[in-house]
Amino acid sequence: MTAQENGYAIETFGLTKVFPDWWGRAKVVAVEELNLRVRYNEIYGFLGPNGSGKTTTLKMLLNLLYPTRGRALVLGGSTADGMVSRRLGYLPEESYLYKYLSARETLDFYGRLFGLPAQVRRSRIDSLLEMVGLTGMAHRPVGTFSKGMARRIGLAQALINDPDLLILDEPTSGMDPIGTRQIKDLLLLLARRGKTILLCSHLLADVEDVCDRIGILYGGKMQVEGPVRSLLQHGDRRQITTGPLSESALGRIRQIVEAEATQCEVATPMDRLEQFFIRIVTDAQQRKQPTSGAVSTTAIGGFLVEEPADTTHRVLDRLVDKPVGPVAAGAAAVAGVEPTVTQPPAVEDRGLLEKLAHGTASSDAVQTDVTTSVPQPQPTPPAAEVKKDVLESLLGHKPAADGSTEPTRSDKPGDGRNV
Amino acid sequence: MYRVWAVARVTLAQAVRMRVAAVIIVMLLVLLPVMSMALEGDKTLQGQLQTFASYGLSLTSVLLSILTILVSTHTVTTDLARKHIYLVASKPIRRFEILIGKLLGVVALDVLLLGTFGAIIYGLTILVPHITDAPPDQVARAEHEFFTSRVRLETPVDKEKIDRLVEESYQKLLSEDRMPEGFNEWQIRDMIRREVQSAEATIGPSRVKRWEFRNVAVRDPNEVLYVRYKLRAIPQPAEDQAVANWRLGDFRTLDTGRLTSETRPYYVSRKDALSTTLEFAAPADVVAPDGYVALEFFNDPSQNYWSIIPSEVQLLYRSGTFTGNFWRVVAMILVRLVFLAAVGVSVSTWLSFPVAILICLAVLMTGTINGFIAESIDSLGQTLGFVYKFTVKPLLWFLPKFDGDFNPTRFVVDGRTLQWLVLGRAFLTTGVVRSAALMLFGIWVFSRRELAKAST
Repeated sequence: MTAQENGYAIETFGLTKVFPDWWGRAKVVAVEELNLRVRYNEIYGFLGPNGSGKTTTLKMLLNLLYPTRGRALVLGGSTADGMVSRRLGYLPEESYLYKYLSARETLDFYGRLFGLPAQVRRSRIDSLLEMVGLTGMAHRPVGTFSKGMARRIGLAQALINDPDLLILDEPTSGMDPIGTRQIKDLLLLLARRGKTILLCSHLLADVEDVCDRIGILYGGKMQVEGPVRSLLQHGDRRQITTGPLSESALGRIRQIVEAEATQCEVATPMDRLEQFFIRIVTDAQQRKQPTSGAVSTTAIGGFLVEEPADTTHRVLDRLVDKPVGPVAAGAAAVAGVEPTVTQPPAVEDRGLLEKLAHGTASSDAVQTDVTTSVPQPQPTPPAAEVKKDVLESLLGHKPAADGSTEPTRSDKPGDGRNV
Repeated sequence: MYRVWAVARVTLAQAVRMRVAAVIIVMLLVLLPVMSMALEGDKTLQGQLQTFASYGLSLTSVLLSILTILVSTHTVTTDLARKHIYLVASKPIRRFEILIGKLLGVVALDVLLLGTFGAIIYGLTILVPHITDAPPDQVARAEHEFFTSRVRLETPVDKEKIDRLVEESYQKLLSEDRMPEGFNEWQIRDMIRREVQSAEATIGPSRVKRWEFRNVAVRDPNEVLYVRYKLRAIPQPAEDQAVANWRLGDFRTLDTGRLTSETRPYYVSRKDALSTTLEFAAPADVVAPDGYVALEFFNDPSQNYWSIIPSEVQLLYRSGTFTGNFWRVVAMILVRLVFLAAVGVSVSTWLSFPVAILICLAVLMTGTINGFIAESIDSLGQTLGFVYKFTVKPLLWFLPKFDGDFNPTRFVVDGRTLQWLVLGRAFLTTGVVRSAALMLFGIWVFSRRELAKAST
């Protein structure tokens, strides 16, 4: 078990794939000398433009394509080995589900392939259907689903065996922003529970939100690899976030900054479209407006979050019972070339959903809490805080903090200013 | 095994929801009852029953063969083309289990549909005599010749004897230097052979010909034996009739000079129409305890002024029930479907959908006329035969025969027993050995090929 000793859930050695032409001559070098290493219990973002060799690499990891040279170890072995594939969950770039099976039949089929007993299968299917918000459509053929709904079932099938390693190819493609958000939260939660996730995505914002490390592939070769935080942070800049400030205070700050012989930019933060969208849809859901589509739910498959029975897992749990990675724990920040001082989001490090759900327009929200951070493009809630209670509040299952059902934003334009 | 069943269940679900399956099911559900009433045959009850059983079973067999080919090729090729296989193969299932699951799913569909339509045909066949007002003699005849299960015995042509006679005649011509000019050796031998065969089959005036049957397993000595035959006469009599003198019994006693015979011979003398299949009954106690019985034809010169050529001489006796025989025939059809499913699954592992279908249909058609092809090529000259022996013949041997004596519907139509031995042999050779060989080849290909397409 070399990989486990070295702490790699996935490890490739000079992995190369050449597609020959009809005459057997090398036509396309899809992947070249790739040495990919994904550690246990990390979320690894595998990025690259179309045709860069990402999917080919995944297919080689899954034994669907055979390497021309080199080899790949997944969980210390080959995925052709049932003992390895038993611990693996895979969501391909499109869902590739049997159109004539219903959502429930689909999950039942994949559950059977894992040899899950009927009772376990039933309870996991119920749990997963609830988690992906398709309980009401359990008996509808998957062929009638929208792409996003099919992705949800695809994700559910990848989780039916409670896998140790998840290989996800574009998991959020075709999903609405709430679904996307939910999946990101789920990934963070799963990583916290000790799972390893290899995430392929074109949606860079999603990758950035959840990944510990990323690798960028181009032309079949790894161009750059490393922790998201160290790759993205601007070490020569600082960002200060504040509550409302008077003009005189701003003036004094400018003076201080200019005294340091550097530049200062003042701006008022804007809402992200994602936040705005979630608020609108949340309002509609709280009004119980009927829909034939997927419903955003609060549930995370019970079996995925339940306490593991054996002590090994408990130890693992303790080990991972902290912020997932440096990026996930990063403070809220706004992308910018220039150093900025920002007036709040008032509650530091709270997830977007939580803010929307509970409402943060309390007196606390306008207190001048100043936080300083190295600028990073997007705020990411720590996994520990984006959980059931948050989602429940979002969906109106629990009253919001201020007693109203409509979430209130603390950071609406006008409330604060970017300095 | 649970993984195999999981794949089989999905394959069955897929097949049941295919439009072509629905069309075939509806077609059979409508056509079978209509056929049972509309087909009249030779306007007798037996004719109606035979025509319906023949058409009904043949139609069901052909349509289910086509459905089996479609489903078995479709289920594998679409899994590959639509990439369903990515999800399945990345689960803890071996590739051979996927293919066996596919095969099992198709076979389950066949069992389901063949069972259903077999029951419908059986039910309608039993119902027809009750809802048609056929005269009692026709009902009795149908009961006697259709709703029965009779073993049919034939005596094989003595090829060795014919070969010997051909050789003798040829050597005689050679030694007497009477070889016809303008012909080569093979042509001369062929002419001699035809003469010898004709002479062997012909019974001249005052001559006797004997057919010997062994292993006649009549359960009850009170049973009845049936002799079926067809007569021709040379020269052709004006009235198109001839007198047939038959005798059945154990004549080995006379041959060996022993006077004690354990059976009593049975004599039949009747005037028969020529070139028509005829039948007479005889008591079963003519059969010796060791299962031997001989049939003799005596061409009485006082009654016939021509040579008689009997053909298709058969001995029949009851050996079971119509119901048992009917379902053995259905099981024989199932063996064919299992083989076709194995062909479909196997070739789909490396061929695309249209090509796989084409191959399967070619196999089905070749099987349907396999006996005919084999006979045609067998009659080719020795030179061509040599090439054939090492090329087409092994291929034809590998493909099962669906025609001639291997066409199961004829057993029901003739009320002929499809023996367990024959069914068992077909099951073993076609349903197990041939199908397993095909599946092993498919598994070998499927386990080695890349399941994903070459794309980046």
